[in-house]
Amino acid sequence: MSRIRRLLIAACAGLVLSSTLAVSASAIESYTPYSYDRWGEAVPSQVGYTAEYFVTGDDIDKDSGSSIGSLSNPSDMYISADDLMYIVDTGNNRIVVTDLDFNLIATIDTFNLDNAEGLEDFDPESDSGYFSETLKSPTGIFVDQYSGDIYIADTENSRVLKTDIDGNVSRVVTRPTNSLYSSDLTFNPSKVCVDKAGNIYVVVRSVTKGAVMYDDEGEFLGFYGANRVEATAEVILNAFVNTFRTEEQRSRVTNSTPVGFSNFDIDDEGFIYTVTESTTTTTDLVKKLSPEGENILSSLGVDDVTWGDEPPTYYSIYSQSSSLIDIDIGDNGEMNILDFAHGRVFQYDKLGNLMFIVGGSGEQLGLFRTVTAIESRGDKIYVADGRKNSITVFERTTFGEIVTNATNLYNDGYYAESYEPWLTVIKYDGNYRRAYIGVGNALLSNKQYKEAMDYFEISISRARYNRAFEGYRDELLEQYFTPAIIIIIVLLLAWWIYKLLVKNGTIKPRKRKGGA
Amino acid sequence: MLDLTQGQFVKHVVMHPFEGFEDLRWKKAGSMKIAVAIVFLLFFQQLAYSRMYGFQYYSDYDKLFNIIPYIFKSWGLFIMYVVANWAMCTLFDGEGTMKNIFINTAYSLIPYICGYLIGTVLSHFLIQDEYIFIQAFEIIGLAWTVVLFISGMKAVHQFSFGKTLLLILLTLVAMLAMLFLLILLLTLFQQILIFIFTIYTELSYRLRV
Repeated sequence: MSRIRRLLIAACAGLVLSSTLAVSASAIESYTPYSYDRWGEAVPSQVGYTAEYFVTGDDIDKDSGSSIGSLSNPSDMYISADDLMYIVDTGNNRIVVTDLDFNLIATIDTFNLDNAEGLEDFDPESDSGYFSETLKSPTGIFVDQYSGDIYIADTENSRVLKTDIDGNVSRVVTRPTNSLYSSDLTFNPSKVCVDKAGNIYVVVRSVTKGAVMYDDEGEFLGFYGANRVEATAEVILNAFVNTFRTEEQRSRVTNSTPVGFSNFDIDDEGFIYTVTESTTTTTDLVKKLSPEGENILSSLGVDDVTWGDEPPTYYSIYSQSSSLIDIDIGDNGEMNILDFAHGRVFQYDKLGNLMFIVGGSGEQLGLFRTVTAIESRGDKIYVADGRKNSITVFERTTFGEIVTNATNLYNDGYYAESYEPWLTVIKYDGNYRRAYIGVGNALLSNKQYKEAMDYFEISISRARYNRAFEGYRDELLEQYFTPAIIIIIVLLLAWWIYKLLVKNGTIKPRKRKGGA
Repeated sequence: MLDLTQGQFVKHVVMHPFEGFEDLRWKKAGSMKIAVAIVFLLFFQQLAYSRMYGFQYYSDYDKLFNIIPYIFKSWGLFIMYVVANWAMCTLFDGEGTMKNIFINTAYSLIPYICGYLIGTVLSHFLIQDEYIFIQAFEIIGLAWTVVLFISGMKAVHQFSFGKTLLLILLTLVAMLAMLFLLILLLTLFQQILIFIFTIYTELSYRLRV
């Protein structure tokens, strides 16, 4: 008896030991990496990016001995085409320019407005903000990849500066004088972006009609890419009641306005992506805009994506829903979306499939307190934290490399080529649903229907399973159609002969049991 | 005439929607055993429908399996219907006994069960584009059951058609009332349980101090 007990205790001890070992082996990240399964439930996952190091202002250009001092609430970043990192140091009213290893290139804090266009109608006395030689709480930056011009959203000075790296301003973009821009709206540009044609787009927090759009001469063109109003019960009721209201009554009812988007990015093809920071709506949180300002993600079939975290099912009053504040388009069109509420980076492929969730809130490396901006270049992601005043650098892991490779092959239609990478992904992370779909599609394109069905069943992908099943059934039919028909004909013949014999009286018919 | 065994009567009733139940009543040929077997079959049909349907059409959340909902959906609802119907028919001078109501209701469920079982089997051989064939079986089964059901209720209580419909409607209302009372009862019991548990906790703390 005691022997059995001793054995049991030893077994238990072994179990406990092995489980703690397993935990310590996987706890390389300072948070539990997770992903979402088919049912929208969080499942443990592998990380696609791991935090390598973080950089504070004091780390920048430490070697030369002349430190630039710490950053203060960095609120935007931009990596230009020539691999320079522009950091908007909001609290210190300057722009810090470094290379991608954070060696200082320049700091831009004073500007020369002597040759600036766009100020002809203004008076230096009464509009001193427009003529200021310094920045006042800038929050947005953009660098034109063709001309190299730097655009700075100088928020408190109510202007957007177009400048070179030495601070020579060539244009100042100011508040539109057009009556389309309502006179009760303030003009505090927070983010700026420029398209291939040189049109300037400015996000203004108080404007909900979309980005304020200027041409390359600084002429106000209108608004671009407004979000839709979410169809809540109240909005629908209002629209219904409005049909019975008179014009006068209608004018008294406050119109339902959409939530204005909060940030954007432009990809290499010139498409503008927007994100909307809203915890209450789910409409148009992430958009890819056509030149007409329409969302083309929905025409790609990316309609039912939950951007950011899935809404919590339990304890919903204790947990915040995601609040998306920045977007960055990576080299392969993947979307890196920054969630302010939990300090997480959500990476989606170009078709809106969730690839990785990275980061979290906390003090350790890879966790954040108040994320403000995200940028990526190659296999690195840079995330700025406005409270820690630092920039954290994430690097793609081996697993991330394989998934990215497989995803790119898959999205470009090379199903067969993506077979091996997806299989490797499954080896790393058995919870990675897209890998099963990838393997299934590769098998399907290779006409291995039965195997494809298995993979589609694991990934709970009904439409694809249906396609594989159709192929499998056709295969079976081709194989067994002739023998089946022969058997049926033989049986019919036998029945016919039996009837004939009964009719002739050669054999007696079997009596049916209990007939009426 | 109509010298059928109890088993053969089942077929007769199902195949003759308008006279079958009258004959059944006249010959007193309903079998409780067969009726119970049918309700068991209903239970298995419900199970098969949500767990064994062809994957290309439908698959249930599979991380969790609970048998109680299936028991309720078959046996629970059936018993509730029989009791509610019997209770209502006594108010309407219906002639059905609890046993006859049980038998007639069970017999009328046969086409529904068969239609859906055939659909479940077919769902393993057809693709999504051919769903219409499955749907046909399911709809025909359901419609047939509705006809049998009304005719069965009409025969067991010897009502006119309109009165039968009214009775069925009232039965549904009675079922709702029963459900409401059941839930009320459950919540009350829960409250009592919590109350007793609180007293127990309180006492155990006092005793410890």
